[in-house]
Amino acid sequence: MVESSFDDKTECLTILVDGRFDYSCHKLFKEAFVSAKKAASVYEIDLSRVTYLDSSALGMLLLLRDHAGGEKADVRLKKPNGAVLDILKIANFHRLFDIEE
Amino acid sequence: MEQILNILIADDNPSDRILLKAILSQFGHNVISAVDGQEAVEKFNPNTIQLVCLDVKMPRKDGWEAALEIQQTAGDLFVPIIFLSGVADPIALSNCLRIGGTDFISKPYSPALITAKLNAIVRLLVMQKTLEEQRDAMSLYNEQLVHDQNVAKVVYENITHSNCLKDPALSTVHYGTHTFNGDVILAAYKPNGGMHLLLGDFTGHGLSAAIGALPLADIFFDWTKKGFLMRQIIPEINARLKSILPANMFCSAAFVDIKVNNKSIEIWNGGLPDLLFFSQQSKAPARFESKNLPLGILPPDVFECQIDPVTFVPGDRLVVFSDGVYEAQDKSGAMFCHSVLNPLYEGEIADDQALDWMVEQLTKEGVLENPHDDISCLSVRLDTNIGIESPDRGVPTSHHEAPADFSFEYVLNADSLRNTDPLPYVLQIITTVPGLSSFSSQIFMILSELYSNALEHGVLGLSSYKKSSSDGFSQYYDEREQRLAALTEGYVKISVKVTSSGNERVLALYVEDSGDGFDYQNISFDMSNSELLYNRGLALLDQLCHKLEFSKGGRGVTAYYHWQVGQES
Repeated sequence: MVESSFDDKTECLTILVDGRFDYSCHKLFKEAFVSAKKAASVYEIDLSRVTYLDSSALGMLLLLRDHAGGEKADVRLKKPNGAVLDILKIANFHRLFDIEE
Repeated sequence: MEQILNILIADDNPSDRILLKAILSQFGHNVISAVDGQEAVEKFNPNTIQLVCLDVKMPRKDGWEAALEIQQTAGDLFVPIIFLSGVADPIALSNCLRIGGTDFISKPYSPALITAKLNAIVRLLVMQKTLEEQRDAMSLYNEQLVHDQNVAKVVYENITHSNCLKDPALSTVHYGTHTFNGDVILAAYKPNGGMHLLLGDFTGHGLSAAIGALPLADIFFDWTKKGFLMRQIIPEINARLKSILPANMFCSAAFVDIKVNNKSIEIWNGGLPDLLFFSQQSKAPARFESKNLPLGILPPDVFECQIDPVTFVPGDRLVVFSDGVYEAQDKSGAMFCHSVLNPLYEGEIADDQALDWMVEQLTKEGVLENPHDDISCLSVRLDTNIGIESPDRGVPTSHHEAPADFSFEYVLNADSLRNTDPLPYVLQIITTVPGLSSFSSQIFMILSELYSNALEHGVLGLSSYKKSSSDGFSQYYDEREQRLAALTEGYVKISVKVTSSGNERVLALYVEDSGDGFDYQNISFDMSNSELLYNRGLALLDQLCHKLEFSKGGRGVTAYYHWQVGQES
């Protein structure tokens, strides 16, 4: 399940993913950032309820990073659980994203 | 939904039969009459009759028996059967409907009722026909798809399997979730002995994941064959994948360079679970974690290679596996890396059993029956003969050999020494000499030994005594990198001369550096002390070459390589 909300004041788009973060979330996740009314300046991905994340989820995060401006993107991955953090670290994603444990 | 049907009716009662025929004909349908069940069966042709109406009670063959035979004749074709019955025989009627009668019409006939039922039947037939057409189209499409996939698979396998995975030092395990899968294992001998290995795992599964493997394998094999180094091949693969893959696709991979000359391996890990290095000196394996982003994410200008060097002794082993193993779930739902794999990490599994043991665990935990991800494992028994005595190294072919007589000189100054690897280019020119291409692995080895000696000891002034311990070994390479990056002065000159005389050919390779030279009088060419981590280079050269000549106080070395033409090599 994917939910998103936009804070007008901080221009922050928060996307919350619940359960398994894999290919089945692809459409919803992409819609969440492509269809936002306003361009966000900060993206927060709440991973606290993600139980598992696979390589296509990593791909979706890269897609979001690209959408948010690539090198200049401000994308924060929040509260991943141990297993999820493990996967993010193996992929060295801390070099591309702010990971807030 | 108007449609003209060919209808077969069977009724032994002439007046009922004629009445029904009259009603049906009135709606424009073509009616074929039969006087009993037997005649109905004989007149039934599934290709022309679209509807059958059978009286329940008939002499010779009743409606029930006739319906069974007609259904059998019809086979896969759908021909609805309607039973005609009076109120007197409800049990017989229910029997008939049970074997597959579509409907029934009760006597005496009511034209309004018959019209309604016929309309329903026509709709049913149209739906049935649409379904059949769709089914046929689907199965044709599927057949086409399977055919295409099989053709593509042949091409795919030719490209990704043109390697030396059959080498006795290697064992691999591979389970794909689809015809195509996103995991690749590549292995290729290097021209100067040793081997390059790559285990890669593309995002996703199936064809879309497999497609990125083609350029990857292409570069891997081509560049390895040409003598490029791991640290040159990896950025090239990254750049190519970055430019062709969509943003959400990448390849987690491990690249391993086995260097037999100095008994070491170099490991690059980008996004794969820890590589395990089993040394005979310690129980638990050393773990080499992912220090790089996977391939195809970073643009070339910010891509960097974090490489771990390790020395090995023959019999040590390296085990690599994809996240299909690492993230597999055991029966209690825990990930393998936190549960099942622990004994492996703790060194309780004999290293040469590691792969079999993993397959056993995957089978036991039911992962192989229903894999969520492609699974690949690779195990290498490290040895110094890898890529040197291998049988399928490529058989040299003997052909007409013209005499050759040429020379060239290639001088690299500081800037070029920092930024280029001249060896593949020099090798390429040398191997244009007819007949010499079959010796390219030996030539390359001589050339690369001479060049690295000149660069490391001559220009950079590194002492090879540093390499006498395993720690010093990686320090040595760190320092090499630092000094090279800071290099502002110095040169390496490579001179190549090929001469012919009758059947004799001589290649003279002269390499000179700007360093201080060394005491070559006291050098020992004794290979028996092969435990030494240094000095093996010169001893090796001495064996490969016809003659090794030092000059300019050790700043210059000439290696003479002789070969003959006009005979089987």
